[in-house]
Parts: sequence; C-alpha cells; structure tokens
Amino acid sequence: MVALRRNKNSEKTMKRGASQWAVAWRRFKKHKSGLFGLGMVIVLLAIAALHTVIAPYPARPAPDSFKPLYEGEAAQPPSWKHPFGTSVMGTDVYSEVIHGSVYTVYVAVTVTLITMLIAVSVGIVSGYLGSYVDDVLMRITEIFLVFPSLLFILVFARLYQLRNPEPFWNIFGINVPAGLTMVIVILSIFSWASYARVIRGEVLRMKETEYIQAAKSLGASSRWIMLRHVLPNTLSQIIVLGTLTMAVAVLLEAAVSFLGFGDPNTITWGRLMEEGLQDLSTVWWVEMFPGLAVFLTVLAFNLVGDGLSDALNPRLRE
Amino acid sequence: MNILDVQNLKTHFFTEAGVVKALEDISFTVEKGCTVGLVGESGSGKSVTAQSVLRIVPKPGKIIGGKILFDGEDLLAKKEDDMRKFRGKKISLIFQDPTSSLNPLFAIGDQLADIVIQHDRVKKDQALEQVIKTLKVARLPDPEQSLGQYPHQFSGGMKQRICIARALLLNPQLLFADEPTTNLDVTIQAQIITLLKDLQRDLGMTLVMITHDMGIVAEMCKCVVVLYAGHVMESGDIETIFEKPHPYTEALLKAVPRLDQTRKLTSIPGNIPNLIDPPSGCVFHPRCQYAINICMEKVPPLEDVGGSHFITCHRWRELQGGR
Repeated sequence: MVALRRNKNSEKTMKRGASQWAVAWRRFKKHKSGLFGLGMVIVLLAIAALHTVIAPYPARPAPDSFKPLYEGEAAQPPSWKHPFGTSVMGTDVYSEVIHGSVYTVYVAVTVTLITMLIAVSVGIVSGYLGSYVDDVLMRITEIFLVFPSLLFILVFARLYQLRNPEPFWNIFGINVPAGLTMVIVILSIFSWASYARVIRGEVLRMKETEYIQAAKSLGASSRWIMLRHVLPNTLSQIIVLGTLTMAVAVLLEAAVSFLGFGDPNTITWGRLMEEGLQDLSTVWWVEMFPGLAVFLTVLAFNLVGDGLSDALNPRLRE
Repeated sequence: MNILDVQNLKTHFFTEAGVVKALEDISFTVEKGCTVGLVGESGSGKSVTAQSVLRIVPKPGKIIGGKILFDGEDLLAKKEDDMRKFRGKKISLIFQDPTSSLNPLFAIGDQLADIVIQHDRVKKDQALEQVIKTLKVARLPDPEQSLGQYPHQFSGGMKQRICIARALLLNPQLLFADEPTTNLDVTIQAQIITLLKDLQRDLGMTLVMITHDMGIVAEMCKCVVVLYAGHVMESGDIETIFEKPHPYTEALLKAVPRLDQTRKLTSIPGNIPNLIDPPSGCVFHPRCQYAINICMEKVPPLEDVGGSHFITCHRWRELQGGR
C-alpha cells in the first residue's frame, strides 16, 4: 500500500518529456511562411466569429442590407464608407464578404472532416488488413477516382435544388443552410478517394516497422494496433492532407457557386462573384474583392499545410 | 522437460518473384530454463523461426507445415484470438533495433502500461506499478522518472533495456532475443548480455538467443541450434558442437577472430543460396569443402549422433572419425 501510494505520487510529479507534437510545434514556430499562413487563418476565423459585429451592414435578406441603395449609393467604387464598393443591387460588398466568411469556414471545416473521416478509415483498414478487404476497398476507391467529379458535383447539386428543399435546417437553434450542406456532402463524397490512397500507402510502409511487429508480438489485436499505433503515426500526414483539403474545398465550393450551381439561399464568396459577373466591365470591385478573399484563404491554408508538412516531416526530426 | 518442441516447421514467403523457402525443415527442442542459441548467417531463417513460433510472420509469409509444441500445446492449431493471449504473456520477443521497435509518439510509461492493460484488464495505476517494477528488473536507472519520457530521449542501450522490460512485462516463460545487441556499441553490448544472462538465471526463464556471434553463444548458451538456408544443420550441447562440429559450424567457427590462436581468419566462400531456387541435395554443398557427389543429389536427414547431438550431413561419420 505504501509502495502504491508512492508510485502514484511519482506518476503525478514525473517530468513529461517533449513529445513529437511539442517538437513539431517548436519547428513550426520557426517556419515563417507557415506562421504567416496560420496568422491569416486566425484572422479569417476571427472575422467569421465576429461577422455580425464587424460588418457595417447586415447580411441579406435583411432590408438594411440594401441601405446603400436607398441612400443612392448603388454601384459605387471603393471609398472610405464602402471599402470594397457597392453592387448594382445596392449592397455593401465589404459587409457581404465578411458575412460570406462564415460559409467559407463552414465549408472548409466540414468538407475536411467528412473527407478525412472516410479517407482515414478506408486507408487504414485497407492498408493494414490487406488481402481481400484491401482489394474491395481499393476497387471502390478507384471508381471514385475515375468519376469526372466536378461534373457529378454540379449534377447532384442541381438535382437536389430541383426538389425545392427547405432553405434552412434548424439544428440546435442554429440555422444551417440546407443547400450548402448538400453541396458539402457531395464535395466530400467526390474528394476522399485520392487521400485514402495516400494514407493507405503510408500505412503499408508503417506496417513493416518494428514497433508494429513488436506490438503484434506482445499480443495486441488488429483493432488496437490500428487505433493506437497506425492512426497516431499517420496523424501528421492526415493533418497536412487535411489542411490542403481545406484549400481545395474552399476553391471547389467557390467554383460550384460561381457556375450557378450553389445554394441559392446562401451568399458565399463564389455566389458574390457569380452575381458580379454580369457587370464586370463597369463594377469590377464586386468581382475582385470576393475573388481576393478566396485567393487569400486558399493561400493561407496552403501556407499552413506547407509549414506543417515541413514541421512534421520525420526525416527532419531532431 | 522441453518447453518448446518445433517439428518440421516450414514457412514460405509467396512473393511475386517466386516462393521464398525461408524455413524448409526446422526441428529443434528447447529445454525449460535453458539458454539456447539460434545461430546462422543473415538470411538463414533465424528471425523467421522466432516469428513463426509467435505466428507473426509478416505477409506474404505463411507457415505451411510442421508442428510447434509449447508446453505440449500445438500453437499452429490455435485460433488467432487464443494465440494472441500467448504472445507477450507466455512467449515474448526482443527485437534487434530498440530505436525502431518503440512507438515514437508515446511516453514509455503509457506505451508499456497499455500492454498490461490490454492483457490483464487492470487500472492504469496498477499497470504503471507493474511497469516500474519491470523497468527496475531491466536495470533502467530511475524508472519512475522515465515513465513520462519519450523514446527519442533515451540512448540506444537504455532503449534496449526498455524493450527488454517490455518483453518481460507479463512474465513470459519463453523469451526470444533476436540479435538484441547487434545495433548497440560494444560496451553496451556486454551490459545487455550480462543483463539477459542474469535475468534468465534469476527469473528461471527460458531464453532463445538469436545471433550470428559465436562469442555470445559460447558465453551464454547451453545448447545451440545451427541454421542454414532454412534447414537445421546441427543442434546439441555447446561443448559437443564446438568439439565435433558440422562442416558448416566448423566454417562459422573459423570465421570468428580469436585472441588465443594465431591462425588465419577464414571466410566461408560464396553466399547464402537463393531461397527461391535452393541447391539440390544438401543446401550447404556448394560452399562445403567436404562435399562429394551424394551431397548434390540427396537431402541429408537430421540424424541423432548420440548425446542429444543432431546433425544434417551425409558424411558426419567419416568426418568426425577423421578429425
């Protein structure tokens, strides 16, 4: 009993060494462009979180969002009052871009979560179990790889909207845009396949390592090895891939909306660009600022991904 | 009493280039409480033998024949789930490279406690206590403080102590040590060898040392099993084998530098054969200085020479008489 108490104390007081994550973070902190990207992402998150406070005008369809029109300030170039100018309809582009950031964050996060969930499960199970499980999962993956995905995304998105669905779902008191969520689901279904292959490759390499062999020799089950050894050790890859998926997701959603196949009830950056397209020659600012927002967001995610992949690269470990 | 009795074990690797016959016909016994050396060149099948006993041969390898009796139970007849309970608990394995055999992401306390929790379904506190106890047995300095440290914070020798502790965590009866000193520097090698020797003696454990170092064998083992290209060349007491060796063992012994003899160091000519297409007859004949016609044609059987000395050679009678 005495011994037990002493050991318990020692567990509490024992020094924790620097984990691989601590080491990676230390390295990321030295990566200038990665840090810059992270700063941009944090700014984006802050804007999305505080969009109602920051934006001078409310989001559509609130009547006040058209206030510049009543004040006779429609289609005005950028000024101090309207930093990104106003649209032909008389909305303040600066406010619209700020409100759109919420959807951008929503798209980036959810597409990445769904994509990675499918890709990681398929990649790890397929790579670790091998044999016929691998064969079946990889054939399915290949089917998804050969689909012309953008075409399918557009078709399915349009099919969904033709059913005239509820514009919003009320989930825990939050209005979740239904059409946009469907676009997210469709995007995810058509983008996990290549990531699953990358993760499977990583698992195949890891399967040969001695610590997996050691775990097996000590009686660990396949499930345990996958969850406790393979998953944590692929996590660095998953994080890097996830960050890049965010960039791709933002870009794809913008493309879908820009082509007019997006959710008609949400004013995303892509949608703003679509609206601005008709008057591009006269009110170029309606097109440029949402485009710039997309560009900076994608750049930010890519910089972070790049920094992370350097920081987590096992070949450069201290 | 024999704790391990391997009979005609056959393990093949079904690669795209062909079937690699890693173990063709392996038979040997391990006496309880004994240290047995498993010797042979790289690629002779030492590690695959250990992996086969634990049934963790990596794909595309497969055990395709033979019997492995552990305490009278046939391990090859067991279901995978039952076999899992044997691994670590009854039979354990120490790996060659301590650096790559520890998961780099977890502190060693967590990593080792996990094994106890998985097998015995105990609380983390109890598991950690067992870990500390075993780390002490493996003579890791300051085990309590080491629990929160990560593998990369230890030296090679310390890591190997942790690996040894990990293998001993559940008090196995049989321990395989797969070249446990190959990746360590010489001074540490001696420490690890002493540690293993003491552990074997104090815990009354059965130890199978897999090595290509005849010095370690002479130092530690009571019996030796000599492997070559998936066949047992000979097995028996260490004295008998050093005295009346099989031609292959003789060649191996001549390749060890010794301070007490002023003879030229010889190497064994040629390489270990291609295991996809092994030589006919005795697998060792292309490199054997005593080979005659029959050696190319007929596979020699594993014969009992007497005094629990087994040998695979057509010419053992004349060679041992003539030497």
